Amino acid sequence: MLVQAREPVTAERKQSQPVDRGATLRVEGLRKAFGAVEVLHGIDIELLSGEVHALLGENGAGKSTIINIVSGRLAPDAGRIEMGGKEVQFAGPLAAKKAGISIIAQELELVPTLSIIENIFLGVEPTRFGFIRWRDASAKVTAVLHELGVSAEPTQLTGSLAVADQQLVEIVKAIIGDYRLLIMDEPTSALNLEETQRLFRVVRRLKSEGVAILYVSHRLWEIFDIADRVTVLRDGNVVQRSRIPETDSQTVIKSMLGPKSSLISGRPNGLGRGQSEASRPVLQVQRLSSLPHLRDIDLTVAAGEVVGLAGVLGSGRTELCEAIYGLRRVAPCTRIELNGRPAKLDEPKAALREGVFLLPEDRKQEGIFPHLGLRENMILAKARVASGPDRPHQSLLRRFLLATGLGLVRAGEELEIFESYRSALDIKCSGAHSRITQLSGGNQQKVLFARAGYVNPDLMVLSEPTRGVDIGAKEEIYTAIDNLAARGTGIIVSSSEITELLRLCERIYVLRHGQIVAEVASADSSEEAILQIIAA
Amino acid sequence: MVKKLLRSESLAALVALLAVVILFTAIDNRFVSLLNIEGVIVSASISAVVGLGMTFVVAMRSLDLSVGSAMGFAAIMTGTLLSAGLPLPVVVVAGVLSAAALGLANGLLIVLLRLPSFVATLASYSVIFGCNLLITHGATVTIRSSTLNDLVVGRVFGILPAAAFTAGLGFVVMFVVFHQTPFGRHVAAIGGEIRAAIGAGVNIPLVTISVFVISGALAGVSGIMTAGMLQNADSTVGQGAELMSIAVVVVGGTSLMGGRGNLPGTVLAAFLLASIKSGLNVSNVPSLYEGLIFGGILIVALMIDGARRGGRRKGMLVV
Repeated sequence: MLVQAREPVTAERKQSQPVDRGATLRVEGLRKAFGAVEVLHGIDIELLSGEVHALLGENGAGKSTIINIVSGRLAPDAGRIEMGGKEVQFAGPLAAKKAGISIIAQELELVPTLSIIENIFLGVEPTRFGFIRWRDASAKVTAVLHELGVSAEPTQLTGSLAVADQQLVEIVKAIIGDYRLLIMDEPTSALNLEETQRLFRVVRRLKSEGVAILYVSHRLWEIFDIADRVTVLRDGNVVQRSRIPETDSQTVIKSMLGPKSSLISGRPNGLGRGQSEASRPVLQVQRLSSLPHLRDIDLTVAAGEVVGLAGVLGSGRTELCEAIYGLRRVAPCTRIELNGRPAKLDEPKAALREGVFLLPEDRKQEGIFPHLGLRENMILAKARVASGPDRPHQSLLRRFLLATGLGLVRAGEELEIFESYRSALDIKCSGAHSRITQLSGGNQQKVLFARAGYVNPDLMVLSEPTRGVDIGAKEEIYTAIDNLAARGTGIIVSSSEITELLRLCERIYVLRHGQIVAEVASADSSEEAILQIIAA
Repeated sequence: MVKKLLRSESLAALVALLAVVILFTAIDNRFVSLLNIEGVIVSASISAVVGLGMTFVVAMRSLDLSVGSAMGFAAIMTGTLLSAGLPLPVVVVAGVLSAAALGLANGLLIVLLRLPSFVATLASYSVIFGCNLLITHGATVTIRSSTLNDLVVGRVFGILPAAAFTAGLGFVVMFVVFHQTPFGRHVAAIGGEIRAAIGAGVNIPLVTISVFVISGALAGVSGIMTAGMLQNADSTVGQGAELMSIAVVVVGGTSLMGGRGNLPGTVLAAFLLASIKSGLNVSNVPSLYEGLIFGGILIVALMIDGARRGGRRKGMLVV
């Protein structure tokens, strides 16, 4: 582990009185409308040099719009932006970069076919006589990669890296170079605890070097760990401005949610729980192996039961979800039984036929169809023809057509289904024809939930169901999961957030190095206890 | 080690090239006669030159379907201007520049009208081909410059046809540009993940236009080389070169998905396909079968490309 001499143990102590207190960025009266809808109603924010300033708000509160404006990706309708006391106007992202603003994008923006170092210096390649020279840059990159705990060489292709490492490369991309303001938009969404801590050390170092940092995260504990000040947004207005020591998470959540604050209730008392002892197992997995990721996994899920998978990134959680859905080759010794019958789940089609549905971890890449409308996105999977208690009147011909994929789409019927799920899940959208990409992350996830509900699976596998989703939508997704379970669906939730597992699940399997190392009942466990097993 | 060699795309082309040479030599040893080898080298060099430009285009995840007609245009320009009595250096420069201008037009169409390159260049292919017919009235222009002929097929230092040196020079320049300059990196970045390229502030319009100018200019060079080799020019020059050069690029190991370019592979594949063509000739396969065979090779190369990309995961995560 590489510890730099300037690693600021002292800076941490000095947190309340950093070196320089000049304003790096000042935003005044920022307004922005999309079409007829104004999403920012005059925002003022000030960032001092050497401070971490948290920007909080539900999805749709206006955080992304502010970030896009400050980083030059959007032009404001009104308002002033000052950098170091001088008014600036950005023609584009490049202009913002030149003015000293660096951004860690929320989405991965890496070229998979280029190497780490090529990605990091994309657009700002170090050259000599017009030819690229990596020599000096390479040492610098290696050092920062080390600092963040990435063991890869700078020449490795980014496409071959794990998601967490790619995210770290994205971070390195932003923190190398000259800048005065660093925007971190959900930088930890793919990182585990250890990686997050390492990142925070780097953030503290940058802070001590006088960089102003605008920090956006849905994880409140991160804010209270790393930030000096917080600005909370709701519906395009600033509703709270505090120094971190002078506020607490309860207050912050209240101002984020406003009148809806009741949503942040704890775990609902005994929704469909307790009945599972008597109910039949939906899924029984014995000796599932898929080397090198998974070894001898035994697991059962009963009808109406919610089972959790805990473990650090790379522990095999994702791989296990994929294996159950038929996306991974499993060893021949593996036995999988669904509803008591042996099942061969070697491809998603088979899994779907058997009533298994996966909500993928990477929603953008694997879940949504960005160019289709909401209705198409929701009703894309074939409804399971045989098991339709709610739709018994299908003629034989129609069943045949549906089964072969030859049937015509019945728009009216689909719209009805769409509207019923829209109101049931409270999907916020302007209508069935909206593009799914116009929705917030939480609402996109709800559409995918509706897709699952429409398919009516016996077993539902959820991989990180609330990643990148704000607190309000999170609670609604939890309710949707509870409801699915109450209908008798067996559910597997894989999540990096222990509190989420404790909230949702009755039992939690803890994975480490591709093996199940513990099975705990949520009722007799705590976050600390599970974290200890994970880290042991 | 062996595995790594097998996985290397350019080596696959090299192995295939050796196999083809051995096969056709076994069928008929006229294949390795000096005359035939020189013919193979000249035609391989010509398709390598246009293929180098196409490699940039494909690495940027685009296609240039107008290279064939641009070759014809440059050849016809050369013939016409030489007949008008202009000196050869002027004619060559004019030919290359006019083809580069066609590339510029392609680039502008793509950038300004936001057309997919496939559509834009398909349209310009048709326009340019039409011009070629109008300029020549369908007739053949004879070229009486033996210097131009020497510059293509004449032996340099008594060893190799001059065309090989042109291709070699082109390869070295393009290789350095692709691997050692920011421009080359930006081409790969646009092809690999355009959002990342935008985010990094890459000047997408400029790079796009430049790549199509390069592709046009190199098509011009190979058109002039063709004219020099044939000692005449008509609208059939470059016919089918668009498919041939895409085949050369893909067989050479550059993925149609963009993001990477394999220039050595392109050159090797140019030699491979030229050898196959000549070998079929030597072993008396009627030329009517050529299209069939090259189409088959292209399909196999695309399948290999697809397998290479899709190897990691079993299926798409789409319900």
